[in-house]
Parts: sequence; C-alpha cells; structure tokens
Amino acid sequence: MPIGPLVKTTRLGALARKEMRQIMRDKQLIFILFLMPLIQLCIYGYALSPDVNHLRLGIIDYSQSPTSRGFISALCENEVFERRDSGDSEAALGEKVRGGKLDVGIVIPPELERNFKSRKVTEIQVLLDGVDANTAGIANAYINQIVMSFDRLIRTGSQIPFQRAAPQISFVYNQGLVSNWFFVPGVIALVLNLVSTLVSSAAVVREKDSGTLEQLLMTPVSSFQILTAKIIPLSALLLINVSVSLFLSTFLFHVPFRGNLLVFFSVSLLYIIVGISIGIFLAAISENQRQTLLTSFFINLPVIQLSGAISPLESMPPFFQWLSLLDPLRYYCSAVRAILLKGAGFDAIWRDVLALAIFAVVLLWLSSARFREQLK
Amino acid sequence: MKRIWAQCLKEIAQFRRDKLTLALAFFLPLVALLLYGYATRLEAKDIPVAIQNFDSSSLSRDYVDTLFNNGQLKMVHWTDGDAMRQLDLGNAKAAIVIPPEFSRKIRQNIAADVQVLVDGTDVNNARVVKNSILATTQYFVRSHHLSAGNDTSLLDTEVRLWFNPGRKEALYVAPGAVAINLWIFPCLLAALAMSREREYGTMLQLFTSSITSFQLVAGKALAYWIVGMIQAMMMLFLAIVLFDIRLVGDVVIYFLSLSIFVFCSVLFGLLMGARAQTQSAAVQMVATAGFTTALLLSGFIYPVRNITFPLSLISYVVPARYFVEASRNAFVRGSDALSQIQIPLYLLICAFIFYMAASRVLRKMQLDR
Repeated sequence: MPIGPLVKTTRLGALARKEMRQIMRDKQLIFILFLMPLIQLCIYGYALSPDVNHLRLGIIDYSQSPTSRGFISALCENEVFERRDSGDSEAALGEKVRGGKLDVGIVIPPELERNFKSRKVTEIQVLLDGVDANTAGIANAYINQIVMSFDRLIRTGSQIPFQRAAPQISFVYNQGLVSNWFFVPGVIALVLNLVSTLVSSAAVVREKDSGTLEQLLMTPVSSFQILTAKIIPLSALLLINVSVSLFLSTFLFHVPFRGNLLVFFSVSLLYIIVGISIGIFLAAISENQRQTLLTSFFINLPVIQLSGAISPLESMPPFFQWLSLLDPLRYYCSAVRAILLKGAGFDAIWRDVLALAIFAVVLLWLSSARFREQLK
Repeated sequence: MKRIWAQCLKEIAQFRRDKLTLALAFFLPLVALLLYGYATRLEAKDIPVAIQNFDSSSLSRDYVDTLFNNGQLKMVHWTDGDAMRQLDLGNAKAAIVIPPEFSRKIRQNIAADVQVLVDGTDVNNARVVKNSILATTQYFVRSHHLSAGNDTSLLDTEVRLWFNPGRKEALYVAPGAVAINLWIFPCLLAALAMSREREYGTMLQLFTSSITSFQLVAGKALAYWIVGMIQAMMMLFLAIVLFDIRLVGDVVIYFLSLSIFVFCSVLFGLLMGARAQTQSAAVQMVATAGFTTALLLSGFIYPVRNITFPLSLISYVVPARYFVEASRNAFVRGSDALSQIQIPLYLLICAFIFYMAASRVLRKMQLDR
C-alpha cells in the first residue's frame, strides 16, 4: 500500500500531518533543529583542543657556551615551546612560573661546558607549572625526549638516534592527531540528545499548556495513536538534524566518514527513539514548559557529562565509569566515534547497538505508560 | 535604598515558594560539582594495550614487563585475530608487535624495530601512550645496557613540578568546576526570576509603581547574590571535603573576586531574563550564551590558549575565564594578592556593564508602553 493515501486517510496520518505543521510553524523549534548543530559544532570544535603547543618557556643560561646554545635551539626548534622573557636570575624565573607568566622554566648551570669536557654528568633544572596536570605531564615527557636526543647528539655526534630496541610508533584512525576528530563525533551525539529531548518535550507539553490535549482526547483517537503521531514526524525531522550535523562535521572539520551510512542512520534512529522517550517522559511529569525545561537540566547534565563526549570515558574514576553504563548517550557516542573514525560495522559495535536497543524499548515503554497514566 | 531592599525581600519570598527552583538552586549545583569534578579527567590510567610477542625469549618478556611497570598501561588478553583487530573492536587502545628476531637482533647489535600502533581517536591519551612507551623503552635500554657506545648520559634533568607535585587532576578540575557552576546556576535563577515578571504580566504592575528600573535590577540582583553566595559556600565546602583542595592563596582577594563574580553571574542572568519574552526562552538563552561559553571558553577543561583564533577573542570577554584563573591561583598556585589585583577589577567592570545593560532594557520597555 503506498504511503500517500495512508497519510491522507487514516487517523494516524492526519495526526502526524498536524504535528508536522505545528513543528514547522514554531520558529524556536526550527532554530533548535537546524542552527543548534552548527553553533554547537563550531564552539566545541574550535574551543576544545588538548594540543600541547606554544608553551611559554623561560631559560636562564648561566653557561653561555656553544653547548648550551645548541641545547636551547634544540628546545625551541619545535612547535611545543616558545621562548619568552625569563628575567635575569633563577629567582626571577621562579617568580614568573609561580605567577603563571611562564609554563616552563629551565636553568642551565654554569658548569655545563666544563662538565661536558671532563665527561661528568650535568643536572639541568626544569621548573614546571603543575596546575594543569595533563599538560604538565606531556610537557615533561617532551623535555625528557629532547634532552635525551641532545645528549645522544653531543656524545656520539650523530643526529640519528641509535637504540637497539626501537619502537616505531604510528597512530591509527587519526594519523595527524587532529584533536577535532575526537570531539566532533561526541558533539554530534550531544546535539542529537539535546535536540531530541527538547523538541519532543516541547511537542507534548505544548498541548498541555494550551489545553488542546483534552480536545484531542475527546476525539476517537487513542493515546497510542497520539504518541505515535508525535514520534514519527519528530523522528524524521531528527534524522534530518543528524544529517545536518554529519554534513557539517565532514565539511567544516574534515572529519572522515569511514563507516557505512546505513549503520550510522540506524544507530542514530535508535538514539532518536531514546531521546524522544526521555522528552515525552519529561513532559508527562511536568505541568508546563518551564518545568519541563528546568527538569531537563537534571537529566541532561549527568547524561552529557557521563557520556564521554567531552572527556574520555577511560580517564574517569572507576565509580563514574560504572555509572556511565546507565547513560544511553555513552553508547551512542562511542558508536558514532567508531563508525566515523574507525569505519566500524555492526560486528564491532554490536554491544553499543544492543544497549541502545534495550534503552529505546524500556524508555519508550516507560514514557508512554507515564503519558497514558496522566491522561486518565 | 528602601525600595531596593523591599524588592530583594519580595524576590527571596517568591524564590522560597517554588520547590523545583529550590532544588535547582541547592541540589543541582552540588550534583553538577560532583559530575564536573569527578568525571572531567583527561589522562587515563590503566590504558588497555594488546601485545603480540613473536619472540619468546626472556629478553622480550623482560621488555613487556618493563612496559607495564609504570602503571599507565594494562595488558589485555584476547583469543581471536591479531593485535590490530583489538584496536578495531575497541578492546585495546594500542597494539605492540614484537618481531620474531627481537632478541637475536639486539644481541647482534642491530636495531630491532618494535611496531606500535596507537588508537588516535582520543588524541590526548594517544600522546600519553606514546610518551609512556618511549620512556619505558628508554628505561629498558638503559637498564639492560643496550644503547650504542658510551652508555652514561651526560645530561640529566631535575624536574620540579610546582604547585601540584603529584600531578593530581582533581586540583586542576575542582576549583574550575566551582567557578563554572557559579556562572551557570545563579545566572539561571536570576534569568527565571526576571522573565517570570514578564510572562505573568506582573512587570506592568512594577512599571506603574514608582520604582525605577535601576532599583528593580539592584533589588533582584541583591536577592540572587545572597542565594549565589550560599551556593558558593556549599560548593566550596563540598570541594574542600571531597577533592582535598585547600585555600593556599590570598583569602581577601579570592573572596573579593568571588563576590563580584557572583554579582556578574546574577546580573548577566537578569539581562538575559529582561530580553527574553518567556521563561523558557530565558532558560534557552542562558543555556546557550552562559552555559556553553563558561564550559568551553573559560579554560576549564583545556588551556585557553588552545582556543582557535576567532573564538579566542570571545574568550577574553567571558568573566568565567578570569574567575577560573583566580580560583586556581587561590587553591593551587597560592599567588600573592598584588599579582592578580586586575581580576576583581575586570569582574567589576563586567558587572557594571551587565547592570547598566539590564536596567536600560527594562527602561526601554517602560517607555514603550
């Protein structure tokens, strides 16, 4: 049976058409559906970056020798450190690190050249601002690697490091370590979560606010039909929303899409059902739009924060990793990341898909039960 | 002055009546602090690594032991496929393949290449894994005297990690989390209060009374400033107890910055609320303009200098950026008062601008009617 007459003749079709028109009329909803992905992707994509570069480095060189100058240029020839004014003494340098004016301070002792000639070990002092523990750790590793290779250079005279156990490290899925690639799939998930809960709760609570829910109930349609008629057009619109996000992320941020579109959209559809169910539930338990929005804070905040969209799941303390198992967004987020960056198919992400399917069924059942209950 | 005070009292009375708003004011900030404080971690411990050792010598087993010695990496066991497959499935974040001729080559003084594949999806931890493998290999080479020629290195580093010697991320995250929550919640409450007057039409009654828009804004700001300061004290208490942070900086300058920052937050909320037509629009505006900027443009998660150019300009006008800095100075760095006197001054300017803007929006509406 073709869809056209189905939409025109059945009750469900008529209701769905009415929903669609109402959504299209609401400017705020259209804004949320189409501009939200753009704004969020741009802010997250351009603001979040774990790169460790352009650290402000101060050097006090008491040695003033060819060796120390060689060492300084070895430190500064990469993007990581940027030499800044360091004052004229060790104390001044320390004061600058303490005041947050410098990130790293290095003191080269006067005996460097002498020690070097008599083949004695020289200690180089490194002061690191440890407030940002993550950056400090990576900066520390970089300094050690630079010192190591410079040490090798002055001892053996060879630029090429020779080491009998030599790890050849390469990065897969993201060879250039472009930091956007981690956040963008997360933001696609985050936006879908925000938009689906907001739009679906608005669609339900609007009927309550304006009192049209009672009118609907007086017609021969069942509550099941009311809900289905809300879910179908919303799902279609949200699929468009996800496509907009996907298009923007490949177009603006050049994030690769290595997976299968069908897999991506079916997983997204599962999450859309989850999101809509949460939205309907929110609307069912609150009396007006204001309450819905405020209650959504209580749900969306933990859902987003525990999803791993912003900070990686693996870094969280064990208890919070465990808690995140109850977060549907977690599964969608990791599935999207795997599909986009790794080209994962159902065989690699079946656990996420299964979890999402369970969430979708349970939440849909819960929210429709709650919705029907409040109609009685 | 009396009018301001009356407006303030009225606002507090109204605030206390609504249970949902009370929960939003005193329960959610604490939950949010726990979530932001605990779940915002960048560096992973126990990163799963799949090892494929084709060389079953004691030397290669030693090497594997060394790799897992420093607690950053954790070995995963698998049954089917090769190590790379574990990366595809997401079971491991790195795969290390030790070639069959590993120990033979090392004994013959030829470089034995160990192939390491690191999952680059999580950029930050990919770097952590790389550095960890390089450092442990270095240690392995030194301890087994495997480097070429003269073994003793001539340079040594003595690293001093200031302020946070244990590199505890909680010290970095917790003060920032308090700061951004103080930007989000007082702001949200104030926006709701202001837009409520619009939505319920009580604004008209206010306009017909003799209160000026400046007095109105001041009264509401005072009320929510008190609420905000209570939130601040609760969150600070929780953060000190749970995250083990201590106030090591100058007390006066921190509390001065804190009180002005809460004023900023409240006044920004009032401005948003005055502009919005309905309460739900106000919540949306605060969520987009306040929440996102505080979370992403304040340097709470990653250093502000990493923000890409056009967006980095916006970060300069985000007050949260300055207060996050002040909080870290007070709780971790222990900087002296003089070096950061510009922070409360800047916040004061922000508060003043928000105050004038909010009052002007209201005055305009008054003239229109």
